[in-house]
Amino acid sequence: MVPLLLLSPLILLAALGAVWKARPVHAALLLALALALVAVLYLSVGAEFIGLVQFMVYVGGVAILIVFALLITRPGDEAAEVARRPRSLALGLVCVAPVLGILLYAVSKGLPVAAFEDANPKLPVQALGTELFENAVPAVLTVGVLLTAVLIGAALFAREPGPKSELPADR
Amino acid sequence: MRVPALIALVLGSFPSLGLAATDKPPLLTGESLPRLPQRLVEMALEALKAPDWLVSLASFATAAGTVVAVFLSAFALLSLIERKTLARAQNRLGPNRAGIFGILQPVADGIKMLTKEDIVPTKAEWFLHLVAPVMIVIPSILALGVIPYGREWLPVPLELGLVFFFATGTMTEVAVFIAGWASGSKFPMLGAMRAISQMISYELPLIISALSVVMLSGTLSLADIVAAQSGYHLGFIPAWNILTPWGFVAGIIFLIAANAESNRCPFDLPEGESEIVAGHMTEYSGFKYALFFMGEYLGLFAISGLGITLFLGGWQAPLPGLGFVPSWFWFFGKLAAIIFFFLWVRTTFPRVRVDQLMRFAWLCLIPIALLTLPVAALWHFTANPDGSNGVLSWLLCSAILAVPFIIITVIFNRRLAPSLRTYHYAE
Repeated sequence: MVPLLLLSPLILLAALGAVWKARPVHAALLLALALALVAVLYLSVGAEFIGLVQFMVYVGGVAILIVFALLITRPGDEAAEVARRPRSLALGLVCVAPVLGILLYAVSKGLPVAAFEDANPKLPVQALGTELFENAVPAVLTVGVLLTAVLIGAALFAREPGPKSELPADR
Repeated sequence: MRVPALIALVLGSFPSLGLAATDKPPLLTGESLPRLPQRLVEMALEALKAPDWLVSLASFATAAGTVVAVFLSAFALLSLIERKTLARAQNRLGPNRAGIFGILQPVADGIKMLTKEDIVPTKAEWFLHLVAPVMIVIPSILALGVIPYGREWLPVPLELGLVFFFATGTMTEVAVFIAGWASGSKFPMLGAMRAISQMISYELPLIISALSVVMLSGTLSLADIVAAQSGYHLGFIPAWNILTPWGFVAGIIFLIAANAESNRCPFDLPEGESEIVAGHMTEYSGFKYALFFMGEYLGLFAISGLGITLFLGGWQAPLPGLGFVPSWFWFFGKLAAIIFFFLWVRTTFPRVRVDQLMRFAWLCLIPIALLTLPVAALWHFTANPDGSNGVLSWLLCSAILAVPFIIITVIFNRRLAPSLRTYHYAE
């Protein structure tokens, strides 16, 4: 409980900063910080595998990709961004409120919080692997195919239209 | 809530911290010598009737401190040895003014770095500019914590040691980006972009080649991976992973990728001094600059240690009957050999170009690294019941790896690598 109380305000602050900062690189770094703190939260409740994977995938992969995307695309106008802020805020609240409501409802109804207090959450990695790659193989494979499709689609969309680059071939 | 109770609660809620080695080896044997400081602190605190949380915290801190002290000394030593070796290769003398054979040169360098002015450029973001060098050092030290240095000496015996190692490595990329971006200048930015693209590209072969070891050891714990490589074939050939067809190929890929991950020559484009000053370190001075070097060298130690653990049998002795030598001696002997190999590579090869770097990773290393996975499976399924492999298994596994390697290298040389360097803009 203590790590949750210590970490959640930090996570919230970092996440809010990620939305609020006008400069995109700052926002991306704060997002990485929020994701890293979530990983620490996972580690603190004994879910080591998911915590480390969260760190590897989200901080090492996703955050770096976002930063890359920011750097190779043209940055927007920061002043215009700040001027647009009231409308963005209203729109964001409209989108977030239902999701938050559903989540809060689900948490208040569905999850018996007390039941987790005394249960031993420590799961051997081997059991996790067996569960993932023997019992849940269809789901894992489906996700794999989906991600591959997304990758190919992204490459197709991002491909530069028109003639090839002007640089002569290096031979 | 009282503060000690709070600390105890936070500590207790991180199960991995509670895993710090708590067994009690005999105090004064060669084997447990590196654990001596930790044991002394524990015994002193227990004699003083200190509360449990303080004992475990102090024990943990001492164990961490031992590793950091050992590797910081090794860093100081290596900075001298590297300059001496480079000088020898280049027919010079190298540092020879501070102390005999220049032995005090690291001290002189340290004092110089500490007393230099700390410059923060006007256009830099001072906070991120300050955070980056610290963030470079932290993951390297964290990674050093999970490597088994000896039979008795494993600072943090994590079940997920390998995943932890690679997870800390991802922090370096973020740190390099922050360093490049926060400096507010174009050379650091270019260097950081080069560094990140290189790190991402070479992390793939690095992790894939480590996966084949995980497959055959059936564990992610580094201590168990070392234990799986114990024993000797035919009574004298160590059962290390590097002495199998798949392990040999995966080990070499790991070595190359490790060299590239730690940004060393011939893969030192991110800080290529003749091209972009010093890459992401350009705008740093004084001790922050030294921190970058510290992080780089500690990262080099960590990744070499991981390579030793995965492929070279960790702390296992190379021949039977050498059990009287402390096991950590073998680990550091292998580490010295690998580091010397890296120095040798540095003096021998010229720096590669960006396009060559990327082609090498994506068209050569990654396909062959992927191939080691099915070959490792084949090796496992063609093994004799006693675990050894027959001649047929050896030939088959070697052929499956060798034929694509030859094809890829031929294609690589003929079609992809430029036969003659042409200058597009400076003719």
